[in-house]
Formats: sequence, structure tokens, C-alpha cells
Amino acid sequence: MSSAEYPPLERTIDLPDMIAYAGATWDWHRLHYDQAYLAARGLDRPVVDGQVFGAYLAIALREWFGPDAEITKLSFRFKNLVFAGETIRCHGTLRDLKDRHAVVDLRVEVADDGRVAVAPAEATVRLP
Amino acid sequence: MLLTPELAARIGEEVAYTAPEPLGRASIRYFALATGDTFAPHLTGEVAPPTLICETNQYAGLPRDEDGYAGHGWGLVVPGTRLVRGGNSYEFLGPIGPDAMITATWKLADMYERITGSGKRMLVVTSVARYTDQTGRLLATNEESLIYVER
Repeated sequence: MSSAEYPPLERTIDLPDMIAYAGATWDWHRLHYDQAYLAARGLDRPVVDGQVFGAYLAIALREWFGPDAEITKLSFRFKNLVFAGETIRCHGTLRDLKDRHAVVDLRVEVADDGRVAVAPAEATVRLP
Repeated sequence: MLLTPELAARIGEEVAYTAPEPLGRASIRYFALATGDTFAPHLTGEVAPPTLICETNQYAGLPRDEDGYAGHGWGLVVPGTRLVRGGNSYEFLGPIGPDAMITATWKLADMYERITGSGKRMLVVTSVARYTDQTGRLLATNEESLIYVER
């Protein structure tokens, strides 16, 4: 077994990105755009939809393992909210590699302050 | 006690939703654009990014609620709590194309109480979704946890 840390995938999540994601997923929850709704809950900025981190992690895995690799499992737990305008980084470290299957430990952090957005997380990737 | 007998009695409930149309190339392309996905088969709509069917509410056909949400939910009432997402665990069983007509079958798999590190009670609700296409082929599964935390 070997271990390696992959180059992180970085994304700045601006409000238009969040609006596009809300449309693309048919998820129009007010947490993601409605300032009055947010203010009533003590929040000063729109909250990024946590499920988008699954999509980002899948993109990162494809960049690390190539277009012919196939993600078979992906799991993640949410730790902290991420807000509009913040930049996140998806980190991955190879934990195990055998029988053409890679198991990867994953983590999503906010670039500005190192806050952990998603962890623990892991994926299994079937290699070509 | 957060897990009342009335709530506990709901464990095992199932509900199924079938999309009224195929997933579609436009939906796949839109999702790719919204997530900054540059993989050509995603941008042309030939193949769906793996997490798309676990993230979309396209299949649900539900009216949006007062929070603006139009996806599946169990309508659980847990007084004195706030709801936070716990996490998701996906399993993908093969590629999904634009012609797939998705049926999502959700099951209320479990509910249990825990105490947070700060001593507050919380109710963890675990649901499992199975996504199939019009031939009955299993496409993916999604185990989701939602947490009702005492205020």
C-alpha cells in the first residue's frame, strides 16, 4: 500500500454559482439566497448547499484518477457551514490501493481560515 | 425525549417518486455548468455526473414548502430543535445517460437519540434512497442523515 496527497481542487463559490446550482438541482431553499430569511436566523450571508460538495469531490476524484476511472462509493459528513463568496479546497489522500480499487480519504476546507466544511469523507474508485 | 412513540412508529415508512420525463441532456449540462465540471461527456449531456441523481429534486414533483424547498421530506415535527444536515453516503452502480427516467424510493430507515459534546440532545434520522430507471435497473443508493439538535 502506498499513500499520496493529491493536488487540491479549489473553488470560489459566489452567489451566481449557488443560484445556478439551486436551479440545476431543483432546490430552491431560501437558505441559499434570501437575505431576510437568513437574517431572521442570525445568518449574514447565503449558505452554500452542502450537497454541492459531493459534486466537487467527484470532480476532484476524476482529475486525480483520470476520465476512465469510476467512482463506486462516496461518503461525507458536514462539519461547518460555508457561505457565499468563500473559497473551498477539496483534499484527497490515497489510503489504500489494491485489485484496481483506490480508497481515498477526503476533506473539504475553507481556504481563508482553514475551517473544515466536510470531514470525514471517503471514496472508492475503480481504476481502468 | 425527542424520539416519541409517534415518531418511532414511522420508522420503515417508504415513499416513491417517478420523474415525469427523462433526465435529459439539458439537465446534465446545466448541472455540469453549475458545478464547474469541464468533463466533455458531462458538458454534452451524454453521461450524468455521478452525484447528479442524488442531488436533484427533478423526480419529486412536489410543491415548494414555506422554506422554498421542493424535495423529498418526511414532515417530521420535533419541537424545540433545529435541523442540520449530517451527511450522505452514495453508492454508484453504473453510468447514467440522459434517457433515464428516474424513480427514487425513499425509506425512513432509522431514528435514534444521541447527546452532543455540549450536552444537548439530538435526534438522528437516517433515510435511504434507491434510484432506479424505467427498466428497474438500480442506478445508485444514497444514505442520508439529518439531525434535529435541541435548541
